[in-house]
Amino acid sequence: METLVQQVVNAVSLGGVYAMLALGLAIVFSIVRLINFAHGEVMTFGGYGVFLALAFGAPPLAALATGVGAAVAMALALERAAFRAMRGADVVTLLITSFAVSEILKVLFQNGISARPVPISLPQSWSGTWRLGELTIGVAPTVSIFVTLAAFAGLTLILRRTTVGVAMRAAAEDLEMLQLLGVRANRVVATAFALSGLLAGVAAVIWTAQRGSVDPMMGFFPVLKAFIATVLGGLGSLGGAVLGGFAVGFLEVMAQAFLPPALAPYRDAVVLAAVIAALLARPDGLLPARRGERS
Amino acid sequence: MKTSIMALAAAGALAGALAAGAAVAQEEYVVGVMSAQSGYLAPYDMPAYAGFRFCVDEINAKGGLNGALPVRLIVKDTRSDIAESVKVVQEMLDDGAQFIVSSADADPTIAAAQITAADGVPTMTFAGTAPVLTQVGPHVFGSYPADNQQAAVLADYAHAEGLRSVWLVKSPDSAYTLGGPEYFGEAFEALGGAVLGTSLYSLNQPDFSAIVTTIKAADPQPDVIVTWAWEPDFPAFIKALRGAGVETKVMGGDVLDTPTVRGLGPVVDGVVHTSGGFPQEGSAYADFIDRFEAATGVVPDNNYYVNGCDIAGMIEQAVAAAGSTDPQAVTAAMAEIEDGEGVMSDFTFKGTDRMPLREVVVARITGDGGKEFVKRAMADPATLPQP
Repeated sequence: METLVQQVVNAVSLGGVYAMLALGLAIVFSIVRLINFAHGEVMTFGGYGVFLALAFGAPPLAALATGVGAAVAMALALERAAFRAMRGADVVTLLITSFAVSEILKVLFQNGISARPVPISLPQSWSGTWRLGELTIGVAPTVSIFVTLAAFAGLTLILRRTTVGVAMRAAAEDLEMLQLLGVRANRVVATAFALSGLLAGVAAVIWTAQRGSVDPMMGFFPVLKAFIATVLGGLGSLGGAVLGGFAVGFLEVMAQAFLPPALAPYRDAVVLAAVIAALLARPDGLLPARRGERS
Repeated sequence: MKTSIMALAAAGALAGALAAGAAVAQEEYVVGVMSAQSGYLAPYDMPAYAGFRFCVDEINAKGGLNGALPVRLIVKDTRSDIAESVKVVQEMLDDGAQFIVSSADADPTIAAAQITAADGVPTMTFAGTAPVLTQVGPHVFGSYPADNQQAAVLADYAHAEGLRSVWLVKSPDSAYTLGGPEYFGEAFEALGGAVLGTSLYSLNQPDFSAIVTTIKAADPQPDVIVTWAWEPDFPAFIKALRGAGVETKVMGGDVLDTPTVRGLGPVVDGVVHTSGGFPQEGSAYADFIDRFEAATGVVPDNNYYVNGCDIAGMIEQAVAAAGSTDPQAVTAAMAEIEDGEGVMSDFTFKGTDRMPLREVVVARITGDGGKEFVKRAMADPATLPQP
């Protein structure tokens, strides 16, 4: 029982990171129809922000804040330099653009910083544990879960209670109508990218704190999982992205923990088969977007 | 008719020029180098190539191989892609490569060796350690102590330390990450130890908490956890392990001998790993570090640099022993080298399956970002776990 509860904590922790990344993808997609595969490199850049801040002697909390800020800055820079010029292009063109941006950034990280992973050494107490009855739970996963919940609560507030949030939700419904109403579309789209960068930055901070290193490929694999999560949740649906992220995280951890040894090498195949089965039952995703972007 | 004569004259001139070119080409030894400048192999290929290039330049400064035969390098980027590796090897052979140095892993080396097999061009991996890689053909060579040698020495050390049970963490995604722990388990059981359990992970696995929870729940608890995981998987694993309050000893392969792993701080304090060498004061290895730093301004902080240098020495010794640059002769001579002189350590190919028999170092990481020497030993070929 203790093991099961511990694995649930693990699943929520991992699912939270996937959910944050999936939400970042979904926010941008819902407004400009861009599946941003360079989102992983935004996350990686956030990780390098943490590394460089620590290398220059910043205290750990300031380093983490620098990482989040770096990711936001990178997301805004990509929007301005690469994606604004492509706005209105079809989905495939945008997808290829995002792949190109992703590859360019990876090569820049490799040659400009290091092809090797670089270490992130945070205070020992951050890797400690605390006890809840018979359970021993890691500090890092616990913080990860609380930060994830706080990020979702903050995002919900922004989307529902602020003018720019309402404008973003309106843009997701009909960007042209929003422009006809006199709202500055560039600012709305840039805000969407900034929020997406913010989520990637928070994910980067949690990821680097838990994994202890940053490398040029760091963001690629979690964003791939996050993309699967957005499709599972319903492409373009913000709630679906969160649900999909937690579902993928839960499936991965439970498959790792409880698949019999003979099936263990097929873990990823089992997880993806479960995702396909869910999509066969609900082709538009678990919580489809109102506009009905089919997976 | 006039046109025909002119065409014949032009053809004759061209043939003469080609013949002259061939004569020039024979006065150099052409080595093709696969070096991933990006992707998962770049962290290993790039320092290995830097060390190799440095020592080739030193050899050329003295007149070439054995003072007489300058080395010309053809270097091509593989982007850590197997298909690209095959393509660049073919291009290098077309450009006259007489020896191929392949990427620092078994899989691209095996792919390259399939191409070089036709002409029997000797092919040596930068640092691939899976013993299976030489099974492609008699022209394929390792350069670093193989996984089964490292595992046998590490198992011997663990047993001598009084450890009697192990939990293996391995990935079937590469010959290295799968083979190392399995060889360790085999050698450890032969010494009387027990394998309590095994966990499988995927390369670049996002999260190790589920594996850690499983190990933590094991009853009885293992005395030691052994993995051949590399970066970034090992940092993620050890952070999750220590973060869950599991303080079991951890041991691993030579891939842990990096500044990144040592830079993880207190979570890696006490982690024991194998290594190809240790730059003790006054050693040839320490001298190499000084020379390299003086020439390039870069301090070689891992063994891939010095092993790259040793590959240049291996080629020089094989060509000297062969007395020829003929690929088959060089291959045969390399396979017969016994107690060849190396910078990291001496090496013997004679009597092996062309994975050189070399000393294995056991080192312990300290929490302050350093490492300390534990022991140096040669695996017993008679008791090596076989691939």
